[in-house]
Amino acid sequence: MTTAIEITDLRKSFGGVPAVDGVSLTVQAGTITGYLGPNGAGKTTTLRCLLGLVAPDSGTCLVNGRRYADLPKPITEVGAVLEATGFHPSRSARDHLAIMCAAAGLPRARVDEALGEVGLAHAANKRVGGFSLGMRQRLALAGALLGRPKILILDEPANGLDPAGIEWLRGFLRHWAHELGAAVLVSSHVLAEVEQTVDNAIIIAGGRLVRHGSIADLTRGEQQIRIRALGDFRPVLEGAGARVTEGPDGVLRVKGMSIDEVGRLALNSRVVLTEISEERYDLHRVFLDLTDARTEGAHS
Amino acid sequence: MTGLVKAELRKFFSTRLWWIMLLVVLAWTGLGLSLSIALAGMEGQPARDTVEFQQMAWIYGGGTSSFTMILGIVMMTSEYRHRTFNSTFLVTPVRGRVIVAKLVTGLLVGLLFGAAVMTLTAAAVIPATLTAGGEFSPFANEIPRMTAGVVAAITLYVLLGIGLGALIRNQVGAIMTGIVWTFLLETIVVSVPGLQEFGKWTPGGVTTALYDTGADFGFGAAEVLPMGTAVALLTGYALLFSLIASFTTVRRDLV
Ligand SMILES: Nc1ncnc2c1ncn2[C@@H]1O[C@H](COP(=O)(O)OP(=O)(O)O)[C@@H](O)[C@H]1O
Ligand SMILES: [Mg+2]
Repeated sequence: MTTAIEITDLRKSFGGVPAVDGVSLTVQAGTITGYLGPNGAGKTTTLRCLLGLVAPDSGTCLVNGRRYADLPKPITEVGAVLEATGFHPSRSARDHLAIMCAAAGLPRARVDEALGEVGLAHAANKRVGGFSLGMRQRLALAGALLGRPKILILDEPANGLDPAGIEWLRGFLRHWAHELGAAVLVSSHVLAEVEQTVDNAIIIAGGRLVRHGSIADLTRGEQQIRIRALGDFRPVLEGAGARVTEGPDGVLRVKGMSIDEVGRLALNSRVVLTEISEERYDLHRVFLDLTDARTEGAHS
Repeated sequence: MTGLVKAELRKFFSTRLWWIMLLVVLAWTGLGLSLSIALAGMEGQPARDTVEFQQMAWIYGGGTSSFTMILGIVMMTSEYRHRTFNSTFLVTPVRGRVIVAKLVTGLLVGLLFGAAVMTLTAAAVIPATLTAGGEFSPFANEIPRMTAGVVAAITLYVLLGIGLGALIRNQVGAIMTGIVWTFLLETIVVSVPGLQEFGKWTPGGVTTALYDTGADFGFGAAEVLPMGTAVALLTGYALLFSLIASFTTVRRDLV
């Protein structure tokens, strides 16, 4: 397999505060990688370094084995969706793309093709100033597709899309990766947005990688039961052989027992459960913990 | 580079900026010409059939260079204001090439604006002269030199604006700086005794040199630089700003 994207020990600080603190990752052709983390985790900074818009303090960012700025015709190799704000409000969608085509030496025909591919053909001549956030995301995506690149880098592309739009985007990314063989790196701060789409996930928080692996491995994580009980249920569970961890909020997480077994044990020992649920995804918990930690940090 | 210039031209003609600025420039020129035609022959003003009238009116459009400087500033800074630098620098990661393309485009746009201003000037001044019984020849009375000078002033100020915009990036900040530089500096130099001899080196002084005919409009003939020096100086400023910007502000992180 070809390594389409390769980041090695990337570091970038703003005013002495690290935004990205030693991130390394690779993305292979034909796969979709989710780059996940709460707001402020360093996702955008990483992607902008990769695209040559931000200069790293140290580390290397390579696409197809080269620095982005060294690619002879970058948008034919890498398509990027950065933010839905990079448009002149009084310029039409068609003009925006035609400008990119002219600068890149691509045939003008690509403009209308790309608008069609993202479902914006009807708005081609409208000023972008009147576009909804969802339409801007689609226009940004059209810009990324102009050069028919084999690498797609997308920063929170689902922002502003309605549920139907998000579904469309998923199908779209799958098609590009799995049928056209593109390497896709897509960031999001909402796990649920991408978990059904991505093959691999990389979780980042505070500028550092927290976890990475195939989505199958990450979600396989040992199943656990989350409960809240009135009274002291923990010794009972442990007496029955379960492994229990207790959160500061009184939530118990039980491993080594099925949800049925936990329920039956509560009934037999006459303990009232106020909450019981399966935490299927290790990934979800990692993600929630990260987000919680961040919110708590903000409060203190 | 041809593709980049095409892209820049398309940027220029795909927003409202160009025709609004063209209207402003033509309105300014038209208003000034109307006034000088209306006032011609009155107390202290040369009559319409005189060479002095022709020469005074012919260079009136040169005053629009302040507007074309703003045009250049906006051409550059709107990339930052509207964050179009994302797509611009993704397509062309070697940022200096974009600055060069903008300067080339500014040159073309400046020539176009200059041609429009001179067309309007000719359409007003020639009939005004002829109907008053005066004579007009496009090749006499320094008309070719003044035409070149006005077009040069209008064009070089677009380039100057692009350079300033690249250096300052903030649209309002760049426009304010441009205005202070061209107007305030002028006023200070002209009004402070001892500095007056430097007047020919100020932006306004240099610009006057572009189309000065040595004609005396009652204030005494101004002491000005040779036209070639003036062109070189303004071009030099524009290129210097752009060059400094290319190695500083333009290289900054785009976050
Ligand atoms: N231009 C900047 N100046 C100062 N701090 C910045 C700048 N850009 C980003 N940061 C900081 O860097 C960290 C990472 O930001 P970012 O990469 O935008 O995260 P994400 O995209 O994951 O939300 C945040 O703490 C943010 O405040
Ligand atoms: Mg972000």
